[in-house]
Amino acid sequence: MKQKSISIMTIVVLFLAGIFMPVILKQYHLNMLTEIVIFSLYAVSYNLLLGYAGLLSFGHAAFFGLGAFVTAVAIIHIPGISLWNVILLGFASTVFAGLILGGLLLRHKGSYFALLTLAFNALFYAVATKWHSVTGGDDGLSITRPDLNLGFTTLPLSGLTSFYYLTLAIMGVAIVFCWYFTHTAMGKTVVLMRENEDRMKFLGYNTNISRLILFTFTGAVAGLAGVFYTFHFQFVSISAVSVDMTTAVLLMVFVGGTKTFWGPILGVFVYVIFQNYLSNITDRWPLFMGLIFVLMVLYVPGGLSGIIMDLWQRFFGKKDNNGGESAAAEEATP
Amino acid sequence: MSDYLHIRDIHKDFSGLKVLTGVEFKVKEKERHAVIGPNGAGKTTLFNIISGKFKPSSGAILFKGKDISGKPPHVLNRHGLARSFQITNVFQELSVFNNVLAGVRSHYGLRYHFFKIPDHNRRICEKVEDILTQVGLTDVKDQPASSLSYGQQRALEIGITLSTDPELILLDEPTAGMTREETDRAITMIDQVTAGRTLIIIEHDMDVVFSLADTISVLHYGTILVSDTPEKIRNDQRVKDAYLGEG
Repeated sequence: MKQKSISIMTIVVLFLAGIFMPVILKQYHLNMLTEIVIFSLYAVSYNLLLGYAGLLSFGHAAFFGLGAFVTAVAIIHIPGISLWNVILLGFASTVFAGLILGGLLLRHKGSYFALLTLAFNALFYAVATKWHSVTGGDDGLSITRPDLNLGFTTLPLSGLTSFYYLTLAIMGVAIVFCWYFTHTAMGKTVVLMRENEDRMKFLGYNTNISRLILFTFTGAVAGLAGVFYTFHFQFVSISAVSVDMTTAVLLMVFVGGTKTFWGPILGVFVYVIFQNYLSNITDRWPLFMGLIFVLMVLYVPGGLSGIIMDLWQRFFGKKDNNGGESAAAEEATP
Repeated sequence: MSDYLHIRDIHKDFSGLKVLTGVEFKVKEKERHAVIGPNGAGKTTLFNIISGKFKPSSGAILFKGKDISGKPPHVLNRHGLARSFQITNVFQELSVFNNVLAGVRSHYGLRYHFFKIPDHNRRICEKVEDILTQVGLTDVKDQPASSLSYGQQRALEIGITLSTDPELILLDEPTAGMTREETDRAITMIDQVTAGRTLIIIEHDMDVVFSLADTISVLHYGTILVSDTPEKIRNDQRVKDAYLGEG
């Protein structure tokens, strides 16, 4: 109970901090923060697969990119479509894609699963590149954010601040739901399956269906992040669905650490800020990002959150190490 | 009335290697049935077939009159069949409580729910506590399974098997590797927790077999040599030759 109230307080404090950010930050930094919030949801969804379920997917960008492209295509081709319907459409199409892909993948695990997801990602990328009339091919698609219809009033979202608040609200709620999910029956089933899938079968669990549900769910959440990615940049290019976008999320999650719920969010902060900083200095920033990734995997496999948890344990003793998202952390520890 | 469980002419071969060659026996409801036999006789293979891990090459398993052979384990579990494993097969990194919770909530249909938190369900938690008391693990319920002693891990193995409240329990060498005292305690515990249920047990330890079983089937080279009461088995010349005589 105590851990839970700490978690809920952390969430409230983060939301409050988020609300005050536009007052403190300049446009440039607020822009970056919006990007961080969007990528946080993307990374959290990926960690549900990698950290919680132990499934290494190289195809997460397929969902992210699908959400992003459906958004752009819907806004361009359906005049006057409301923001809510765009979100709904993006979400629904990724759920659909998740069920189809998941259905084909659910019997596979380990490296077969990883390679198949990579193949699907490549397929999505090929479609995005070649289907020029719909996706714009190499040119990408430019859009204008629709206004936000709240029923009684309509808010323009052209300004960054108002869009930031919408992003914070929807991405935030989605992230909190993902956190809550890790405590639910389904969320725990996923961890149990990672621990001992064989035994789960003998306890009445259909593990193939479980994997399908998780794959679809995490895909849909990534798709939702993709929708906001297009809203944010008001542009989408084939890079959104490229394998690079999968590697990016892999890097974010690894830098932050897979063993806690909040690790990947920390990873996104570090990734986005570092990337912005590096790309201002040098055009060869991907080289340095790659180097960091290699070093992290070699020397800090637990990621930054792993280091923080270690330090916390050292200074506050074993009893108090349950701060933050402890319940999730506890179970996600392999 | 048809039999409760009828193992009918089960054959199993693994790419040419004939492990089971026509296994046939019946188990009555609430019976305690032991399957004994020398190493390599095919006992665990037989269990794997009854519990759905393997499909039989031919033959049928009639459970309350219905053929359940070849059905996947999770379906069989929902029909009321549960098994333990010879090599401890628990969720090592999770707490003892969460180990048992996995099965209990499955039994109550809380497997894939996206909103309900199983720990918040009082009925489920009470059931978990109840099982932990029965297998004597209440004191260590918050410890990870990996930190338990061997005897405790074996008890947890049985606790997990009980967690889906099965009517037919298959125990695969529950006392394997235990000391004499541990074995004695395990026999008492198994006797209590399986009361009112049907039990099929594989055992090497003859003390366990003779103190628990009502009926014994002797599996020898992939087929049932004889299936009878413990007294008759003890005096059966064929069994003596094949198995008991060795020890």
